[in-house]
Amino acid sequence: MSFGPPSPRSPLLLALIFSPALLADDLFLDNEPLPQVLTATRLKQSPAAVPGSMTVLDSELIKASGARDISELLRLVPGMMVGNINGNQAAVNYHGTNASEARRMQVLIDGRSVYRAGLATVDWSDIPVAMEDIERIEVFRGPNTVSYGANALMAVVNIITRNPADSHGTRMKVTRGQRGINDFYASQGTGWDGGDLRLSLSGQQDDGFDSDRTGADYRDSRRLDRFNLAVSQTLNDSQSIDWQLNAKDGTNQRPYTYRPVFSGITAAGNNSDVIAKDYAGSLRWNLDINPEHSLYIQGSAQHWDRQRTWRACDAEVSFSPELTDLWQLNPNYAERLARNMERYTGPGAPAGTATEQALGNQVLKQWKNGARQTLCGDIDQSARESRYDLELQDTLSLSDSLRLVSGMNYRYDRADSETYFNGTLDDTTWRTFGQLEWRASEHWLLQGGAMFEDTQLTGSSLTPRVAINYLINPRHGLRAVYSEAIRSPDMFENNVNWSYQVTNLRPSAYGQSSARYFVKTRGPGDLDKERMRSRELGYNGFFAELGLAVDVKLFYDEITGMISEPLRNNQYIASNANTSRFRGTETQLDWRLSNADRLRLTYAYVDAKASNPLDQRQTARNSGSAGWLRDWGQGWNSALFYYGDDALNGYRFERVDTRIAKRIGLGKASLELAGVLQQRLDHQPTTFVDNNYDERRVLYFSAELEF
Amino acid sequence: MQPQSRKTPTLRRRLIGVCLAIGGLLWGLTASGADILLTGAEDSPGVQTFIQALSERRPTDNVRFQPLASLPVPGQLPSATRLILLDLPSLDWRLQDSQGPATLVLRISRLQARQRLSNVLPARLSLLWSDPPLQRQLRLTRLILPQVRRVGVLYDRHSEFLLKELRLAALPLGLEIVTERWDNTSDSRPLQALLKNSDVLLALEDPDLYNPKTAKNLLLSSYGRQMALIGPNAGFVKAGSLASTYSDQSDWLAVLDDLLDRPPATWPRTLYPNHFKVLSNPQVARSLGIEQMDEASVASQLTEGESHP
Repeated sequence: MSFGPPSPRSPLLLALIFSPALLADDLFLDNEPLPQVLTATRLKQSPAAVPGSMTVLDSELIKASGARDISELLRLVPGMMVGNINGNQAAVNYHGTNASEARRMQVLIDGRSVYRAGLATVDWSDIPVAMEDIERIEVFRGPNTVSYGANALMAVVNIITRNPADSHGTRMKVTRGQRGINDFYASQGTGWDGGDLRLSLSGQQDDGFDSDRTGADYRDSRRLDRFNLAVSQTLNDSQSIDWQLNAKDGTNQRPYTYRPVFSGITAAGNNSDVIAKDYAGSLRWNLDINPEHSLYIQGSAQHWDRQRTWRACDAEVSFSPELTDLWQLNPNYAERLARNMERYTGPGAPAGTATEQALGNQVLKQWKNGARQTLCGDIDQSARESRYDLELQDTLSLSDSLRLVSGMNYRYDRADSETYFNGTLDDTTWRTFGQLEWRASEHWLLQGGAMFEDTQLTGSSLTPRVAINYLINPRHGLRAVYSEAIRSPDMFENNVNWSYQVTNLRPSAYGQSSARYFVKTRGPGDLDKERMRSRELGYNGFFAELGLAVDVKLFYDEITGMISEPLRNNQYIASNANTSRFRGTETQLDWRLSNADRLRLTYAYVDAKASNPLDQRQTARNSGSAGWLRDWGQGWNSALFYYGDDALNGYRFERVDTRIAKRIGLGKASLELAGVLQQRLDHQPTTFVDNNYDERRVLYFSAELEF
Repeated sequence: MQPQSRKTPTLRRRLIGVCLAIGGLLWGLTASGADILLTGAEDSPGVQTFIQALSERRPTDNVRFQPLASLPVPGQLPSATRLILLDLPSLDWRLQDSQGPATLVLRISRLQARQRLSNVLPARLSLLWSDPPLQRQLRLTRLILPQVRRVGVLYDRHSEFLLKELRLAALPLGLEIVTERWDNTSDSRPLQALLKNSDVLLALEDPDLYNPKTAKNLLLSSYGRQMALIGPNAGFVKAGSLASTYSDQSDWLAVLDDLLDRPPATWPRTLYPNHFKVLSNPQVARSLGIEQMDEASVASQLTEGESHP
């Protein structure tokens, strides 16, 4: 079948047909006033017209994967590097950079950034959203600060929860399995005239990895509970309100990692666990001024509470005022002395300036006079971070072929930590952005925009972005994208004021039960933003007859002014001195072979080059996934996934996940029983040397009742 | 008082009837054209526009409108009159008398007819369906979305009777009809279940299911899953449906013109208009990655298919 050439007059005709006078006069057209729902401002571009690379993980895929964590789902995104710092801390980065500090990606839940305000990381396991509440995850693979603000440096993960109107009824689910897996989920959704609500409660528990590099039990289990309430209310034909409340409370175990600086100390604590609480609330007011013009105002408040106190033991001399002075004067000298006290006791302080040597000898004297005794005290490494965010976004359809999205954003971030900031630190950010979409012709689509941002701590910046799409037809498009993006250094990188006030000292240090540890680290305070320049060529196509969707992308990305120094409390000298470059190709293929079968493949080849070797660690040159979903009929369905990468932080990763499920109808209710088997194919630790499982396979089962 | 008050209108109606009969007879003697009487409960600019257009189309006939309240019982109208009903109250009025002139009933849907008449088709009445024929809507779906197989359909106890016919119509087109019963539209679960199992949604002309209150959730939920909605009428296409066939005044004028040329004895008992148009929503099509359609050419392809099944 073929359609005639698209008539450029059709919108005009449509307008004529529906001009109110005509409609009212035609006895045979439905005169009942119907709101225009899918307006020009609400409709999104078709996949072929998107100004960049996008991967959408839909609810079918999310469920079939059997994944218990959002980070695990991201293995389905080409180019996404998913690893683990430990069992309850995922390290996710698009294309790469540092393995232990994944902080170059924006992560949003229903438009609210969950990037921590002070220590710019994403605590994937602590995000207060249950997997069962997720409708889909849209991953924008590439920088996009114009649409998502600073920190959308390498990619944007946009987690969209189920609309309350789409989640009516009751759902209850329990999951039990090996490795201490013990999860639950319960939700209730209901609707009334003009409004809908969903309340969900969920919990998650597991043992994390089994053993560290020495074969000893690895302390990295987790236990958490979540509460979510989402409400949407239509006020009238043109206005609606959506609001959400989210809370999460739980414990993340952390192994005890403190190593005494001074020799001869054997006493130690046994853990440095974190009590992690996350709270968030958001309110969004949507206004449709007319079908061509709409806006929303969204306000949100978030709070991250990380309570972490642990017992540390070291020599009394750690609290020596003279050693503290020496550290301020020359940290290298102080560290050399501290680590070799016994060696210098005889000959005296190592060579240095006169002041250094004088202070050094005083410290050595204290050491000889008994300050070598072991002291144990409590270290409070807690941090409380808050963010208040207000955003206005306006979408204006200027004509059938021209659309303008613009807006403003105000953000206030505050971090409060005795250890990290010696009190409270705050920052305000103003942002304004605009993006224009121009459909120059049936085939050419030009999209460009810019964002201007000004932050109190790091100054202002302007980032542009431009994309050209050539649509061969509405389902097949080629694109060329150039974009710039920035990442502001977080408060930790730039303004850290790191020192430990140790309390409950036993015995007391220099007569005090509370004293300050000699090591003190300060951030430079004048760090600049990291800058990314990204170039991309891509193709997106949907072969409707075959049910096959394909996306291919070639990219060349450079980051300059990169802050690569690891965040350590001894000698953290941050700078913008580093650079990285990533180039390669990515492919994703989603093929619905029939109503029963779906095949999905992703592959990424990434070549990374970084001035700091640490920034090359989290890049697998080859990575990808393969999935096969099948509906066998009579309630049976299965999914088989393969995930692999050749080396992430030096370790290979290959795993096959199988999920088999049976749905049983029970009158109006339905019960789904499912089993998931994950089988590792390699024999390596996961990302870091301490992440080891005793068994290469894990099995867990779930039962879900819906009515 | 009461018996009198009942009698008075009857008497008045009879008198009016006699006058009408005489008037009709006189007119019939003076001109060769037919007496075409349109009626409805309410007069409106829309009704006037239609009457005007119909009289222009049939200059030799006497086309006139009389409000329902001013008409006698149908049996008292001259049998040569061709009666055209414009709304449901006028149908109720017509049904009170098994006698009366041959009647064309406009602006009535299958669903409304079923509710009023059950399965009985009264004599002398031709029902001209206002809802788009199911087969035509299915063929439209097939034409603009050739890759779809599973057509999702929501129904309730009123529209359930259409499903059998729908399945029969889908069979030769290679389409599978997936259905969900939706009795309580404030509970979205049936819609969610249907969206999971279909490639496209086809809307039945059932105002209980498709109305201004349900439009938002229906359209946003299906669009959220990148799924198109076909039908149920032109108004819904404006709201966000992908496309629908529909018949507007000019189509109905053509249909009536054709019928009025024929002796009433040959009028069909029920009829879907063979004149129709296609309306699409180009913005929705673009967003779903569907070719912009030339509505006139799609309509003519559908017409062609109907004349050579």
